This record gives sequence, C-alpha cells and structure tokens, in this order.
Amino acid sequence: MNRYRNFPTDVSKHNKSGVKESVRKKSMFKTDDSGHTNQVSVVLDGRKVDLPGDASIAAGLLGQGELISRISPASGKACAPHCLMGVCCECMMEIDGIRQRACMTRPARDMVINRHLDKGRENRQKEDPHGPSL
Amino acid sequence: MGRHYDVVVIGAGPAGMSAAALLAEMGTQVLVLDEQARAGGQIYRNIKDAGPERQGIYGGDYREGLAVAKHFYASGPAYENKAVVWQVDPEGRICYSKDNQSTRIRANYIIAATGAMERPVPIPGWTLPGVMGAGAANNLSKDAGLTPSGRVVLAGSGPLLVLEAALLAKKGVSIAAILETGPAHPPARAVPKLPKALLRWDFLQKGLFMLRDIKQSGAPHYKGVTGLKALGSAQLSRVEAMAGDKSLGFDADLLLLHFGVIPNTHIFRHMGCHMEWDTLQQYWYPACDAWGRTNFERVFAAGDGSGVRGGPAARYKGQLAALEIARCLGMITRDERDSLAGPVQKALVHDGLPRPFVDAMYAPVPGALSFADDTVLCRCENVTVGDVRKAVSEGVRDLNEIKIVTRSGMGPCQGRMCGPALAAVVGAELSLAPEKTGLLSVRPPLVPVPMAEVAAMDLGDEDASAGNWLLDKK
Repeated sequence: MNRYRNFPTDVSKHNKSGVKESVRKKSMFKTDDSGHTNQVSVVLDGRKVDLPGDASIAAGLLGQGELISRISPASGKACAPHCLMGVCCECMMEIDGIRQRACMTRPARDMVINRHLDKGRENRQKEDPHGPSL
Repeated sequence: MGRHYDVVVIGAGPAGMSAAALLAEMGTQVLVLDEQARAGGQIYRNIKDAGPERQGIYGGDYREGLAVAKHFYASGPAYENKAVVWQVDPEGRICYSKDNQSTRIRANYIIAATGAMERPVPIPGWTLPGVMGAGAANNLSKDAGLTPSGRVVLAGSGPLLVLEAALLAKKGVSIAAILETGPAHPPARAVPKLPKALLRWDFLQKGLFMLRDIKQSGAPHYKGVTGLKALGSAQLSRVEAMAGDKSLGFDADLLLLHFGVIPNTHIFRHMGCHMEWDTLQQYWYPACDAWGRTNFERVFAAGDGSGVRGGPAARYKGQLAALEIARCLGMITRDERDSLAGPVQKALVHDGLPRPFVDAMYAPVPGALSFADDTVLCRCENVTVGDVRKAVSEGVRDLNEIKIVTRSGMGPCQGRMCGPALAAVVGAELSLAPEKTGLLSVRPPLVPVPMAEVAAMDLGDEDASAGNWLLDKK
C-alpha cells in the first residue's frame, strides 16, 4: 500500500549527525502515565525509534526529548512544534516521503520520518555562508 | 459516482459531534470529516481514551465531553478520522485528504465546525524551540500524557492562560513565573457586566479556584507585564519582561504563550463567506443567522469557529444548525424545529451569562503590544515586523499586496500565524483599525497537499475531462 516504505535512508550518516546530539538534551516533558502500552517502531532520521502509537508523531518525539522538528527553509534555524493543533505547520516533517504536519499524523509501523536536520545546514552553507536567505 | 451526503460536518469537536448526532438520529445521511485521529476537538481532545486520572485533572468541563462523545458514536453517523478537508465550495463540493489519498464528495448542506485557535502574537524570540502555545501544552497532556519537566514560564492573557497555569500548578510543575500582559486591575468596562455574570456563580467560582491553586503554588505572578522577550541561542533559556518600571528575568526551559482564542476562519474565507469583525475581541468571524447559516444558504457555521463562546455553547450551536438543516431537508416541520430548539436556545443564553464579563476582563487592548522591528512576524517565511513596516512606508497598503511584496502569509500555514498581527502592524502604521486593512486571501489547498495526490484523486461524479476544475474554479 505504501510506496514510500523503502525510501533510502543513510543510517550511518544520520547517526553521527552532530546536530542531533547537540539538541538532544534531557526531555522537556515527562509522561504522566506508567508508559504507553502500544509502541510503534519507526525510522527517524535513519535510526530506529519506538514511538507511542496512540499519540501524534510530534507528541511522541517531544516525549523523548526530540524538540527540533525541522530546519526552517526561510531562516535556516531549527524549529520546534509550536501549536500542536495543526495550525502553525512548524512540525512539518518528511513522513513516508511526503511533507506532513507531525502533530496531525500518527506513527505507523516502519514509517520513515526524516527531519533533514543536517541537510538543512549543509545546503545553507553551500548557498550562503552568511546565513539565511529568502 | 462520487459519494453524496445530505450533510457533511467538518470537525468533530463539541459542535460537530452534537450536530452530527442529532442529524443521524433524525435519519439524515450525515458524514463527519475530522482532522484528528480521535473525536473531541481541542476541548474534549482524546476524551474517549483518557483514563480516569486525566479526566480527573481536567475536571467537569472535560468530563462533560464523555457524554457528548458517547452520544456521537451511539447515534452512528458516518465518521472519518484523520480526514483533512482542503477545499470546499458553497455548492457543496468537498475535497479531503486521508491516508495520503484525496477524494471529492458532495453534500447538500455543510456544517463547518472548525473551532478556534490561539491568537498568535509575535514577541521577540517566539520562534525559538522551547516557546509554545499554552494550548499546545494542554493538548500534549490530553493527547499523550506529557507534562513539562523543566522550568516553565506562562505569559500572555486570557482565562485559558490562568486555566493552564492552575493545571500545571496542580500537577506540581515548576512554574518560574506567570506573566499576565493584561491590565493590573480589572478594567472599568468589566464592572457593569458583573451582575449578569453573578447569575452564574458556579462559573465564576471555577475561576476563583484556579486563582487559588496558582496562589498556593507560590509561583511569582505579575500583571500588567510589557516588553515580553524569549531569549536563547539554540533554544529558549530565559524569559525577560517589564512589570511597571521593574525588569523581570527568569531562567526557563519552556515558555507557554497565550493571548486568547480566535475563530479558525480559513475555511469560511476560502468559501467566500461574508466576514464580520468583533471589535471587542479583535477577531474576524463568519456572519451567521441564529441557526448558524452563513450568507450561503447551504453552508452553516457552528461552534467556536463562528465566534468564541466555549465548549457548551459550541454544542448548542451545533444542535441549532442541525435542527434548521433537518427542517430544510423535510425531516421535521418548522413547529417541531422551534419546539426542539427552545430549550437549546435557553441553555445557550444561560451558558453565555458570564461571557460579557469574562470578555471585558480579558479583551485585548489595541496597541498594548508594541512590536519591535526585528521581531519575526511571519514564522513560515521569516518576515520581520520591520520588513512589513518598510513595505508600508513604500506605499503598499493592502494586506494582500504586503503579502506579495514581503511573503508574509505565503508559507505553509497560509497566514494563520501572522495574519492577525500583520493586520495590527499595518493598521498601526496607517493609523487605521486592523479590520480596515483587509483580510489575507485564502486559497486551496487549505493545508499542504502534494500535487501528485491532487492529480491522482477521484473526482467523483463530475467529468474529469471537463477542464482543469481546480485551476478554473479560482
């Protein structure tokens, strides 16, 4: 059914991404409940991650301390989910090959989620070493 | 043949669920399209699956939603979750995306119950990771059981800011400060509204309990705050503001902003509904009659999307729209409609008694927030307040022209986050009221949808070869 299941992901490259390490601090949120029973395994930036199946992707990632959702193509700066109700589009991620709002999307088994956190930085440096450009 | 329904309800919050339940019970063919995975909207978010613990935290107002949701499911309307409507026209054609597939259907009547959103107000640093809406924190809690674990600052104004602060205080979250931008003392205009509000002592009491919970938490609570700023390099680390002459500063991991709630109007503007301006609350809403009918005979607005009145009022408004549509469809007579509507209208009035007081207490004060030139106004396109002021100084006056020149409002959120402040900034520059600057045009798709999905969609009963309907239409 899903033609994006086999989307190429460079596991090794993304795992060594410096960006990810620098933003992965202690989680900004803790979970009320004893734990989500229904865990779904997805591929986040080339790395296997378990997300709660009964919450949005954005919420599941925030629960694991993954604050950054994307690099703004306009400012070149890191963005994080802001409204969590489908309004602001700050949590747009490439989910199974399509840019979608992570706060309105549920994880499914083997879903491929790419935030392109390092790609944004590389492209930016290539295009304009002085920072953002419109 | 594309599917055809008597009524399509867009949104499964309190208004949408109540309308659909009533219509289904009366035997109409009704379909509910909801963006979320679970019915409930924002206020009753995840109500069906929230355990007793979460239901306890959110109290009676949230638990009321359980009965609404049960009634909704029991009445058996067709219901599609995760269905994102991206085009509607007043003739009843609706395009929506579900599981990365788009479909077009038809409806004789449409009830748009798209609810409300937090009023976006740009402050310096609001694009930093770690700055969120207070409603976002509320949703994360209801949806995923997440509670902020670091130091939290809540800032802005409105009853829901107080509510969220009280909820976090009750959960034992470390609140570094509550910074209310509203006036330090209740405004004089609120006083004459108080007697009517006292008829709903039960309602006012809830507010007093919230304030008590906040006080007991010992969190510093400032009013009349100005000059709010979010600071940090990679993410938020500090919040600064002024309270009178005193400068305030708090180390923080999370800043929750809230400046009241405004109707989510994109769907109405896109259909070409006539919009009206609420001078007190400073927001646009679709002009409706008492049943929720817009200027299009077959398009109804219900719930907070037609004017912010809260959850119970949204349910009543949903029911009133359903009753009028049932009459139009010949399911009930005019007399039956009126006798069924009587108690609902009465309940709506009773529910609304404290509203003028609360509205007057928390109404945004025009010009109270001063925007700095380097503050980002349009988050999607990284356009600053200064960029917009420059365009205005060069002679651009209409919001849509400013959008073309600066790109403010041209990103994926389609001006939802910058539109209100853009009108305020442009209005201030031109010494005009915000509503005189126009409204950003809204075009399909209402949310980002891949072109491949649109190209592959099932056009239903109409001949697909009859021109490019998507482009011809607008």
